[in-house]
Amino acid sequence: MALPLALVSCGSDETPADPADLGTLTLMIPLLSGDAAAPAVDSDMHKAVEALTGKKLQITWVPNSNYGDRMNVTLASDDLPEVMVVQGKLPAFVQSAEAGAFWNLTGKLDAYPNLKTENKQIELNSSINGQVYGVYRRRDPMRAAVIVRKDWLAKLGLKMPQTVDDLYNVAKAFTENDPDGNGKKDTYGLIVPKWPGVYATASPYDVIETWYGAPNGWGERNGKLVPGFDTPEFLEANRFVKKMVTEGLINPDFATLDSAKWDQQFFTGKGGIIVDVSSRAGVLTRLFKEKDAATYANFVDLTGNLTGPSGKKNSYPTVGFNGFLSISKQSVPTEAELKDVLTVLDKLSSKEGQILLNNGFEGKNFTVQDGYALGKDATVPAIKTITNDVMSFAQLGTASNGYVAYVSLPAGQFERQQYEQRVKFHKADEASAIHNPAQAIVSKTQVAKGAQLDQIIADARIKFLAGQINEAVLKAEIQRWYTQGGQDIVNEMNEQYAKIKK
Amino acid sequence: MGKARLSTRLIRYRWLLVLLLPGLAYFVVFKYAPMYGVTIAFQDYLPFLGFDGSPWVGFKHFETLFSSPDFPRVLGNTLILALLNAVFVFPAPIVVALMLNELRVSILKRAIQSAIYIPYFLSWTIVAALTYLLFALDTGPITVLMNDLFGERFDFLADPDWFRPLVILQTLWKEVGWGTIIYLAALAGVDSNLYEAARIDGASRWKQMWHVTLPGIRSTIIVMAILQAGNLLDSKFEQIYLLTNSLNRSVAEVFDTYVYFLGITQGAYSYSTAVGLFKAVVGVALIYGVNWLARRFGHSGLF
Repeated sequence: MALPLALVSCGSDETPADPADLGTLTLMIPLLSGDAAAPAVDSDMHKAVEALTGKKLQITWVPNSNYGDRMNVTLASDDLPEVMVVQGKLPAFVQSAEAGAFWNLTGKLDAYPNLKTENKQIELNSSINGQVYGVYRRRDPMRAAVIVRKDWLAKLGLKMPQTVDDLYNVAKAFTENDPDGNGKKDTYGLIVPKWPGVYATASPYDVIETWYGAPNGWGERNGKLVPGFDTPEFLEANRFVKKMVTEGLINPDFATLDSAKWDQQFFTGKGGIIVDVSSRAGVLTRLFKEKDAATYANFVDLTGNLTGPSGKKNSYPTVGFNGFLSISKQSVPTEAELKDVLTVLDKLSSKEGQILLNNGFEGKNFTVQDGYALGKDATVPAIKTITNDVMSFAQLGTASNGYVAYVSLPAGQFERQQYEQRVKFHKADEASAIHNPAQAIVSKTQVAKGAQLDQIIADARIKFLAGQINEAVLKAEIQRWYTQGGQDIVNEMNEQYAKIKK
Repeated sequence: MGKARLSTRLIRYRWLLVLLLPGLAYFVVFKYAPMYGVTIAFQDYLPFLGFDGSPWVGFKHFETLFSSPDFPRVLGNTLILALLNAVFVFPAPIVVALMLNELRVSILKRAIQSAIYIPYFLSWTIVAALTYLLFALDTGPITVLMNDLFGERFDFLADPDWFRPLVILQTLWKEVGWGTIIYLAALAGVDSNLYEAARIDGASRWKQMWHVTLPGIRSTIIVMAILQAGNLLDSKFEQIYLLTNSLNRSVAEVFDTYVYFLGITQGAYSYSTAVGLFKAVVGVALIYGVNWLARRFGHSGLF
């Protein structure tokens, strides 16, 4: 009879790692494209990347869905690839890096023109307590946006919100003034879905708190790091959101609405405002375009971060990176070999390398038009293969020196205008970005208990907004965070923070 | 028993023993060998350091578990669900099987059987999606119906009070049909002479069921009860996980979701293995306990 045992098992391979052969580079990369096969060794892309780097590449492509598991198994084995895509500061990675499994690259990258970071803040964000264990993979540092039903604004004679007060007023009008003109009070303002993450995970709540001046995750108050939820601004922001919930300006099922239905609520006209990443506007625009290509430009408008009640604008940035490429110390034992590997990564992030990894071959699978990349007919099998392979190899792109490859040409005139609008307000918002000063800090207790503790806050916040608990209980829950281990996190964070600041 | 006799027997039954090998290999490779991994419950396991290199910490993780403020809540939630399962879900297939057994139109009986098997083949993800559709706040058909019937505003998906009824309903809908199979098979095995004798003695349908049918399948029911006892602390992870949200987590968190949350998302492998091991030990104890009870009351147990 099978006993119900929840066990973690893995066989550790006892074969010793090959001594680094400088002619071949081994890599482990997540394979994102669901339907496409991993790039073949004799494919154009594979050969082109080999030609660019001057190395023979031996790549292990691992389906993204079990990359995390595979990484843990690989860490447990004695056979680490020389270069590994690490998808974030996962506990197993942090512990391994600190135990010496990966090269500490702090201060080493500036010697390479294409690995020298364009943004020290992001490099710091990607580090573990200020120690850089990988070349980070750059992402847009600013993505937050407010997306609004343009036709509803027009019908009610309203303007795009610029402040949180505007947000309230527009949401109120959307709820009460029948923006869809069907004579029924069946709409609401802001659409919020069940958020899968815990506290400080770019949920609409987190973004609104930052607008209100609360720290983004952690903040410095009187020279000490404090968790963002233990600030008056956090409470003020949530009182504001609660007011919106109570007045029916937010969908009442905000704690349970399937996040996959977020777009549908906007598209079908149940609600009229979404606070999320700006790229969602593109998804929504596509929905309207599929419905009616003639009028689709009339439905989606967007703007960046909103000004808070104090009149100061605080913008919610992203962490600016999505994992990093780390180099195994075991497979790349000497400094000379490390230099060799870094030179390869440097080449991959040069303009030529970035275009190859992100766009492919000019003239073969894309052409350049007004500085944008225009993909060629992807129904041609040869082009389709290249396009799929490019998508896979893009995972190897770092662009920590700045993104210099081409952006895909937006589908139509309106999309292009929307894209340029997005770039513009993202750029403008960067000046008022509230970074998380603790992003780089990994505290032991945080790793062990952080997610569990943050769940207390995330749940209490939702319960407060839903009216299940009052503000006194919310504050008591915040105290519970401290007593169940949060105080240790605060202490460890501050200890590390003092070291980094020096 | 002499050596010679053993070897003769080995030789005589050699082909049967060969047939045993694949099954034995399955258990060794997939069930017993991985048990070595249990050792990490007593270590501060780090994948990078491996089973051999990770430091030993004795019962530290068990102490943390039993002194954790989460422990009473998670244990309570798990036990309440287990109890509800034992009370509502365990007898349901027996009742349905008895009802089907009383049907005399065989085509109807078979049609109903097939219809109630189908949900078993749907994944929990689909069941959860259906639940979300049917019970959505203000828009789900069942929510609308209940709102109209009782004049209240039901929030099935978020209200902690509705979490357990929903879980039990889902389980009943999905698994009762499948569960009837074994009982229907047992019912088919009841000697029809006994019914005839009962009828001659003037027993009504109800009395026949009570005095012939139920005693006839009693041993099956007991075996099923013992088997289920071992799984008492097992909740169906996907089912619970998919139905959990911030508002009902206080009643929804059970050992299985807790282990997932700690072990997979936070990388606390040792701690979550300790939790899993605790669960398994309780499971084994329960199997022996129920088996002992069954024998105590004069029935043959499982072993």
